[in-house]
Amino acid sequence: MMKRLLTLLAALMALSLPVSAQNGPLRIEITEGVIEPLPFAAPGFVPESGAARQLAQDIAQVVAEDLAGTGLFRQIPDSAFISQISSFSSPVQFADWKAINAQALITGAVDLQAGGRLVVKFRLYDVFAGQELGQGLQFAGTRDGWRRMAHKVADAVYSRITGEGGYFDSRVVYVSETGPKSDRKKRLAIMDYDGANVQYLTDSSSIVLAPRFSPTGDRILYTSYETGFPRIYLLDVASVRRRVLEDQEGTMSFAPRFSPDGQTVVYSVTRGGNTDIFRMNVATGQTKRLTSAPSIETAPSFSPDGSQIVFESDRSGTQQLYIMDANGGEPRRISFGKGRYGTPVWSPRGDMIAFTKQSKGRFHIGVMRTDGSEERLLTASFLDEGPTWSPNGRVIMFTRETQGAGGEASLYSVDISGRNLKRVKTEGGASDPSWSPLQN
Amino acid sequence: MNTGQYISGAAHIGLIGWALLGGVFKPAPEPFEVTEVAMISAEEFDAMMAPTEAPSLDSEMVALTPPDPEATETEPPQAEAPDPAPVIAEPDAAAPPPEPEQAPDVAALLPPEPPAEVEDVAPVLVPPVEAPVTAAPDLSDRPQTRPTTRVAPEPVAPPEPDVKIDDIAQDEAVDDGAAEVQREQQEQTAEEEAATEIVTEAEASSSAPSTSVRPRTRPTRVAQPAPEPETDTGTQAAVNDALAQALAGGTAEPTTPSRPSGPPLTSGEKDALRVAVQKCWNTGALSTEALRTTVVVTVQMNQDGTPETGTIRMVDSQGGSTGSANQAFQAARRAIIRCGARGFDLPPEKYEQWREIEMTFNPEKMRIK
Repeated sequence: MMKRLLTLLAALMALSLPVSAQNGPLRIEITEGVIEPLPFAAPGFVPESGAARQLAQDIAQVVAEDLAGTGLFRQIPDSAFISQISSFSSPVQFADWKAINAQALITGAVDLQAGGRLVVKFRLYDVFAGQELGQGLQFAGTRDGWRRMAHKVADAVYSRITGEGGYFDSRVVYVSETGPKSDRKKRLAIMDYDGANVQYLTDSSSIVLAPRFSPTGDRILYTSYETGFPRIYLLDVASVRRRVLEDQEGTMSFAPRFSPDGQTVVYSVTRGGNTDIFRMNVATGQTKRLTSAPSIETAPSFSPDGSQIVFESDRSGTQQLYIMDANGGEPRRISFGKGRYGTPVWSPRGDMIAFTKQSKGRFHIGVMRTDGSEERLLTASFLDEGPTWSPNGRVIMFTRETQGAGGEASLYSVDISGRNLKRVKTEGGASDPSWSPLQN
Repeated sequence: MNTGQYISGAAHIGLIGWALLGGVFKPAPEPFEVTEVAMISAEEFDAMMAPTEAPSLDSEMVALTPPDPEATETEPPQAEAPDPAPVIAEPDAAAPPPEPEQAPDVAALLPPEPPAEVEDVAPVLVPPVEAPVTAAPDLSDRPQTRPTTRVAPEPVAPPEPDVKIDDIAQDEAVDDGAAEVQREQQEQTAEEEAATEIVTEAEASSSAPSTSVRPRTRPTRVAQPAPEPETDTGTQAAVNDALAQALAGGTAEPTTPSRPSGPPLTSGEKDALRVAVQKCWNTGALSTEALRTTVVVTVQMNQDGTPETGTIRMVDSQGGSTGSANQAFQAARRAIIRCGARGFDLPPEKYEQWREIEMTFNPEKMRIK
């Protein structure tokens, strides 16, 4: 009892202290800020040899476009610069860059050495802190690989400022579409994430669908109607050789996707009007049936740790999303909103699932937590579908198709915050994108 | 007898005086010249005589005039001279017109080239997500948040196209040649357009609810604390005594040496500081993990309200990895330095109270939801 009395007395004494008393520093809490692109300056990289002059300009431009294209950064035009960077090693005049509100400064140099060896180096500065952000880095490669080196510089800058991995040195495989809607030619194509360096992997003699990268980016699964029925093929990117992965008489197989370790493929098989999900060991060809409901189960996607699979099913009467164990078992439903949910894809970070939603005659790309909570629709249009995640789980690319006989499919990307919705540059129509991991 | 003699004597004297003074024995007066004169004061007379004494007065005036403040006030041309002097000192550093070849002090050249800024901002002002939205017939009449690339605590209307975007909105000031005191030219600036939250394409083009609410679990019942046992009257009396003694205020501790002296900042002054910092706290380029990290930062302040940038340190972090804490700290440091560059609006008389500031940057409201 005495102890409690003493405690009470102590509390009262504390209350009776003068209000003006303040212990230590002044304390304030900041809970609201602004969300806006971070302004950066990227003066042209310094050419260290005459032959590198054009390359230096091009590389600096690609770096700036990569960063500005994220919507997280805003490039300050060269015309606003007070001082220039004439030498890579000379000290930076921070006051000049502060004056134009450049919060990050990227300097670089490019050298084209004998034998065609290209060397690109850069430094990143936190202008207002007046110090370098990380250490300078140098990349070396062939002249042909200059865009990749630029992407790597941008990835490093992005990573140092945001704290998460970049996604610029990556590729996208998609279905290239040409011709009118009634006679559309489709073939597999692969390109840099920004639409550069397009290569075609198949001809347009048969319909191809839904290409998917392997976790290492060296192989591609896709579905082709070459035989008249949908079949899953496995294509080696380097050699462009392919083989049928699943070929059972009287069945249709489609919607394949790799497991995170690349050794297993999950896919759908339609047999006798019923569609279920199977998994296959790529090396041995051994298969296992994961679902057996009379409803349609398709579009399976592994969690990053390989322990679970999210898929779509109409077993409840409407198309919804479910999660089950990677070896099958009783699935649990995670989507409960009005409308139809499909093509779920697990985020590389493991915390979100992207999906297509059809509601009230419109299509949306959305994201939700893996338990179905915090659903958030990012887009809305006549037809949006087929999301794919960037390697860092920050951006989603998808197909958007316009209405009408002259409607065309094209690729769009959007930040998971819903900002920075934009069209991805492609040659002609494009659909069904699949984002590769970061290249080595 | 005597009386008659006195009267006779006085009468004779008066007669003789009249005869002498009255001019009875003088000749007729000669004609004379009449000249007009004016009454003048002694000062005026001195002034008239001054030129004759010029050599001696001259040296005396030179010695006396400068320290005499009244002398400058009474002479208008000289009174104007001291005024421009302090005003000119500032333009000299900032405005190059008098000497075009002189290198400008770049630190003072706050506004960059206007055309460049406008060109830079232009794409930001065009909402990029509206063009693809074609199927939006069922828009509600409710005012909708405009989709912008900038999110701020307070919404900001789109500025005029020709206005430069800056952190601080300022009115335009032009060089007025007729004015006695020349103002430094100041371009009109405005804050960039901002919404209070991120608006996705799906949210911007339809009034339909875009999220499905999962059935929430029933809140668990919080166990009620057991009722306090009643105290006996003796104890109650002791508590009352102690309460009275405590409220009497006689127990205030002596101020510790580390405690700042003087009156504390008012809540309004604290709010002003908080608002000033949060205007520059940009979380747009932070990772989702860094947006889950709260960092506590200390900074030593100069008396002019600017932060000592070298003293900004992270003293604590919660909710994220070391890497994400570092990213969050960098964003916090940029906020303090950027918005403190012109000095925070803090009361100078309470400097001891804000000599050191501890700021907690809690990004809970800034997370991507």
